[in-house]
Order: sequence, then structure tokens, then C-alpha cells
Amino acid sequence: MMKGTSLTKTDIYKYLTVVVILVYVVLLMAYTSGSTKPFGQVAEKVEASLDKENLAEQDSQALKRYYGLNSADYKGVMFYSSEFSVSAEEVLMIETKNEKQVQEVRDAVDERIESRKRDFDGYAPEEVQLLDNAQIKVRGNYIFLAVAPKAEEYSAVFAESL
Amino acid sequence: MLFSSITFLFIFLPLTVLIYYLVPFRMKNYVMLAASLIFYAWGEPIYIILMMLSITLNYFCGMSIYERQDDSVRAKHSLVFAVVMNLLLLGFFKYYGFLMETLNAVLPVEIPYRVLSLPIGISFYTFQALSYIIDVYRKEVEPQKNILYFALYISMFPQLIAGPIVRYVDIEAQLKERTLSINRFGNGAMYFIRGLAKKVILANTVGSVFEQVSAMQSGTVSMLTAWVGCIAYAFQIYFDFSGYSDMAVGLGRMFGFEFRMNFNYPYISKSITDFWKRWHISLSTWFREYVYIPLGGNRCSAQRHILNLLIVWILTGFWHGAEWNFIFWGLYYGILLILEKYVWGKNVEQLPAAVQHIYAFVLVLIGWVFFFSPDLGYAFDYLGVMFGIGAKGIVDSQGFFLILTNWLLLVLCALASSARGFRLLNRVTHRWKSANTRQAVTCVVYVAMFLVSVSFLVTETYNPFLYFRF
Repeated sequence: MMKGTSLTKTDIYKYLTVVVILVYVVLLMAYTSGSTKPFGQVAEKVEASLDKENLAEQDSQALKRYYGLNSADYKGVMFYSSEFSVSAEEVLMIETKNEKQVQEVRDAVDERIESRKRDFDGYAPEEVQLLDNAQIKVRGNYIFLAVAPKAEEYSAVFAESL
Repeated sequence: MLFSSITFLFIFLPLTVLIYYLVPFRMKNYVMLAASLIFYAWGEPIYIILMMLSITLNYFCGMSIYERQDDSVRAKHSLVFAVVMNLLLLGFFKYYGFLMETLNAVLPVEIPYRVLSLPIGISFYTFQALSYIIDVYRKEVEPQKNILYFALYISMFPQLIAGPIVRYVDIEAQLKERTLSINRFGNGAMYFIRGLAKKVILANTVGSVFEQVSAMQSGTVSMLTAWVGCIAYAFQIYFDFSGYSDMAVGLGRMFGFEFRMNFNYPYISKSITDFWKRWHISLSTWFREYVYIPLGGNRCSAQRHILNLLIVWILTGFWHGAEWNFIFWGLYYGILLILEKYVWGKNVEQLPAAVQHIYAFVLVLIGWVFFFSPDLGYAFDYLGVMFGIGAKGIVDSQGFFLILTNWLLLVLCALASSARGFRLLNRVTHRWKSANTRQAVTCVVYVAMFLVSVSFLVTETYNPFLYFRF
């Protein structure tokens, strides 16, 4: 081959790396990206999938009491929790206004799970197991938490609704 | 992971130092690389793959340019490919959302789009990679043959997240050989502690003053309060960013690396030209070397020079963030620098020194309003209040309350942002005749500074560095 058009081994590795980067970006978009869809649209789909027999919608005071968060600080909040004190079931979805708030909410979610584990430890092992299997997802400015027997299903609906 | 976190200070750093100093010299770069990757992965478990891919791509791009050096056209093609790929990556992760938002604002229909979070440090490590690629093309450096050494250059944890932006030419020799000594280590540790104190004691505390002011409803802020808020932010961003840079330089020195200074008391500047020789020096140097000079710098007609300055400063603003207020902030400085060069620079030099300081500081404060504002509308409203438009009077009890409750902090900040503060610290530690006493006093002062910083850290909430978002 002529020198002007030949591809060296280095060039091949270079282009291969570009291909891997493209694949990586596609995967990131599919599995980690957030969405600019209005919060109401996303919440509507997630809410429709919830088994509300054991879950009741909570207000901003409950969010403050359980998570220490002010709902007015965020773009959108959807919070369902069990009305029975013996159940750890809970579904929370928050869209933050900026990236800095994501960490703040994430920390509050982790703290809540740890605190609930301490509450149930020793007398309700099945609830502790639910908490161990909690689904936590951070997608862009959305943070989603599901503690429920159907947590995986709720989490999948959340991902699809973005 | 944050430098100013208990995990970093009491687990990560001591362990890394211990292993680094125990292994033979030929292993030290690998220990440093492993530590850097763990450091990054701690906060960005997903984006570490992006950084590794960027490293791999730039390693091969550097080699490719080098292999084509005897054919200038092909070498240039390789350079363009590398630069475009780096800018595409940076553009996609940092500016894609901004582009879509702008499109949605002008189009009649709303296009929904997916958003990714910003990978921490991407602006810094991409600029380092670009400097390497361009320097290899210019034959200023040989390409790094060892991909792990190259990975260390890009990912070195002391300066990975928020600079200073280290040029490969400055660190090439140090990757092969560097001096390690107890004196350098101690000197680096002192630098680090000063940076930690700047961030934790000064930046975070004065930042809460700014937060108080920025949380106030419009129409309830007096001129005095607005100026106090702006001055508090000016100190916060300076101590936050220069604190990080000091920690980076100090950590580098503890591991035998020498980075260039990133700040040189910018608030004592006598002009905006002077300010930009003292603020974020590594970024200004990068833009001068790789954009301003290639565009023709000042060795061209006045019109072309003005255009060059505007291009460089709009890009500098845009580098800081994908928002219109950052572009405006860059443009603001571009125009001021042009005015100083062509209109009033000589007149400013004739003014008494104190007036020159006030002139520069007030213009810098106005610049920070664009920087801290969430959008341009907020920025102009805030500026209006600073100059009496929409203000709740010139002074009010809130403004006096802020000054009375924070006067000591503000005085400390003013002292620490000038060379006088450092001289004062040295006067305490160096006034003793005996070398042993000097050492003992220095140790006591710095340990005390460290302990006070840790006590602040234990009680405060998550408080990342402001420059992480860039």
C-alpha cells in the first residue's frame, strides 16, 4: 500500500478506541441518562404501576420528617409510604433543580434506609430484607427509591418512563 | 472523593503515602496511578471508564501524530482528528444539554432529550490531553511510550478534579525522575494544610454569608447587603479555588511532583490585565499557548487583536460552564481587557495605587455577579441592587447586622487574600533564633491549623469545591 493511505497499527487502535467510546456513550444514554420530560408525566406512569394496597401518598411534612428534605426545594416530589408502622414499604421519586441537590437527596435516601434498618432490626427480618433489596436509581436529576416486594418492577417502570 | 473529607484525610491519603514511600522508585508511578484511579472512581464509578477511554484515545493519537511527523499533511490530519475527538467528547458531556435547551428556546416545538450528569474534572483532563497532543505535534515533547505513565499524567489525583491544568512539557521529566525528601514532603504538607484551612475555615464560612444574602427575596435587599454578599462570594470563590490549588500543589510536592502556581494574590491586582496574570494562571496560560498565540496574539492589526481577545475570552467563559451568564462573564473580561489595552489602561496606571486597587476589585466584583447568578436576568437584577436600582435603600439593619456579625471573618479573609497574611503567619513561625524552636513552632501552628480545619469538617454538611462543576 502507498504510504499516504496506509493505516498503521496505532491508527487501528485509535479508531477502535473511538468505536468503544461510541458504544460506551450509547450505553450511558440508555442506562444512566436523566430526562427533560415534565415531572408530572414521569410520576403519572410510576404511580399507575404502584400497588396502592399498602402504599399511601404522603405530603411535604412527611418528606421533611422522614428524609429531612423540603419539597419546595425540588422540581418535583412523589412520595408514597406504608400507613402501617410494621411495614418498610416506601416509594420516593424526586427531580432536583440542579446536580448539587442530587448528592444531597442521595445522602438523605441512604440515611433513611439505614435508619429504617435499625428500626426493624431484630423483630421484622422480612422488612430488613426489603430494605436490603431497595432499588435506588439516579438518572440525571432524578432520584428514585423503591422499598417494596415489587421494587424491581417499579424501578423498571421508572426507567422506562423517562 | 474530596480532599476536604475525613475519608481522604484519615484513610486514603495516609495509606497512599505509606505504600508510595514503601515501594521501590520504579513502582511509585504505578502506585500513584492506582491511587488516582481509586480516588476518581470513589465519586465517579461510571465515568472512570470515560476517563480511561480518553486516556487510551489520546495515547494513540499522540503516537499517531509522532509516527507521521515526517509528513506534515498527515501529521496535521492526525492532530485535527485528535482535537476534534477531544472537543466532541467535552462538548457532548458538557454542552449537549445547553445546545438542546437553546434549540428548544428558538424552535416552535419542545424536543425532549436525555441528559447525562457532568463527569467531574472532564474540562481539566481534556485540556491536559489537548496540551499533550498539540505539544507532540509541535515537536516540543516526545510522545509518552508507556501508557501507564501517560495515564498517570492525565489522572494524577492531586490535580485531576480541579486543576491546576498541568502541561505535559512541565511534567515529562518528573514522570521519569523526581526528588523525594523529608523536607519536600514537609513543605508539601504545609502547603496542603494552608489550602485545607482556606477551603474549610474561610471559604465555607464566608460562603454561608453569601448564601444568606442570595436567599433573600428581591426587593428586601439594600445596596449595602448586596455589596456585602458579593464581597463574601468573591472571598468564597477565591479561598475555595485557590485552597484546592494549594492542596493540589502541596500533595504533588509530597509525592515529589512540582506543579506551577495557579494563583498569585489576585485581589491585590491594580488592573484587570494584572488580575488575569494572577487568577487561575494555568487556564490563562493554556488559552494563551493554544488559542491566543495560534490566532496571531497581538502581533497583528488592532482589529484582529481585538477579535483574538474576544474569541479567547468568550471561550474562557464558555469553558467554565454551558450557560449564557458564563459566556457573558467571559465577554465582560474580554471587553475590559480591550479597553485597558486600547482606551484607558495608561490612565489607570497614573492613578494612586489605592484607587487602582479599588478600580480592579470593583470590576472583579461585578464580574462575580455574572458568575454566581443562575441566569443573566438574576445577574442584572443583582447588579441593579448593588447600584441602587430596585434596592431597599442604601443601607439597612440587615446589612449592618451582616457586617457586625462577620467583621472578623471579613478582615481575616482580606488579610489571607493578600501577601500580608502569609507574611504574618511566617512572622509567627520564623521569629525564633534557634532552628529547632522555629521547627517546633511551625509544627504547632500547622497542626493547630489542621485540627481546627478537621473540627470544621466534622460538623459541617457536604460542601464540595465550587470548581467541581467546571
